[in-house]
Amino acid sequence: MSPNGQRVLTRDIVIDGIWRNNPIFRQVLGICSTLAVTNLVLNTLVMCTALTLVMGASCLTVSLLRNWTPRNIRMMVQTLIIAFYVILVDLALKAYWPEMSRSLGPYVGLIITNCIIMGRCEAFAGSNRPAASLIDGIFNGLGYSAVLLSIAFFRELLGMGTVMGFAVPYFATNWDKWIIMVMPPGAFFTLASVIWIFRSIGLRRDAK
Amino acid sequence: MRDKPWFAVAYMFVVTAFFSSIVIGFARFTSARVKANEQLAFETAMLEAFALAEGKTGLDIHEFFLERFTKPDKESGLAYTLTEDGNLSGYAVLVGGKGFWAPIKGIVGVSADGNRIRGVSFYEQSETPGLGAEITKAQFRNQFAGRRLATTDRPIRIRPTGSKLADNEVHAITGATQTCTRLEKLINEDLARWRDEHFSSGGNQ
Repeated sequence: MSPNGQRVLTRDIVIDGIWRNNPIFRQVLGICSTLAVTNLVLNTLVMCTALTLVMGASCLTVSLLRNWTPRNIRMMVQTLIIAFYVILVDLALKAYWPEMSRSLGPYVGLIITNCIIMGRCEAFAGSNRPAASLIDGIFNGLGYSAVLLSIAFFRELLGMGTVMGFAVPYFATNWDKWIIMVMPPGAFFTLASVIWIFRSIGLRRDAK
Repeated sequence: MRDKPWFAVAYMFVVTAFFSSIVIGFARFTSARVKANEQLAFETAMLEAFALAEGKTGLDIHEFFLERFTKPDKESGLAYTLTEDGNLSGYAVLVGGKGFWAPIKGIVGVSADGNRIRGVSFYEQSETPGLGAEITKAQFRNQFAGRRLATTDRPIRIRPTGSKLADNEVHAITGATQTCTRLEKLINEDLARWRDEHFSSGGNQ
């Protein structure tokens, strides 16, 4: 990252977003939605897509306006921009994919309060060029999505014996379904395991 | 100029006006569609309550709804009525109330004699996906078809999975006890009100 506006390598931004500085298991941000929407893979996928789009667009917009925005009101402007994109996504889902809008309920609107977006706008987009900010936003979104999808995969599989709603052999029939996995406590256990596993891998790499 | 206090105010004002006008424009643009989607969800639920929605989409459902369903009146005990082959063949009783997270709204299809359930469906709910939201799945809803409505007390009961069922009872969803308890309550309140109204007004028994 570069606080003084130097050029940042795209490759570094990508690796930071997905691995080295992953929003979930490194920064531990956006945990609310991680716990809430990860019991069905399909819902998680749509939520992640929405978040990634909103984050990319917000970071780009914040970056475009960075030389005009007075510092003392920058947070207000960022919130406004994020809310703007979230409302657009919410309206688009309501109009063109009503079933999904119904099954995600209030979660789409809650993207506004997802601290990852605010965090990236503040930490990166506010002081970097538009192109780099767009890439940063999108790859942080992808890093978030990767973790969420792996959590959702295990929760749906162990809790309901399905993936994306399709029955998985053995798990759908002989497996004694762990109902707790689709309930809120299951999210805590899975998230904790994921953070533990990924951080251990990271530590081992650093040691080498 | 950027350091002047008025600049921040003016800037915020301009930015807000700009983004708001785009949102307002888009909301206007989609509002007819959003409304149509809501209406269609309701009409689909109406057909599903009588197991008539199979194989129909969008416009078919809308036309079928307009053709066969009549709006509630005093005589029907404030339920929509369904006409098949020229005869009254069922009542669609609207039920609604508090779910686990947010209101649940649905429809109970009752046979013309007022004694049996033909089906249930839901057009508004925000229960937990994978648990409470399973009430919208066919697996749960199909249990209701053919159940007899009790003539006293609670018309229909939702019992724990695995228990033996009487002919006005269905099985609950494992892990969604709260949703099922509330669902039983809200269905029964509206259904009992309709039943009492229907039979006391001497409707065609």
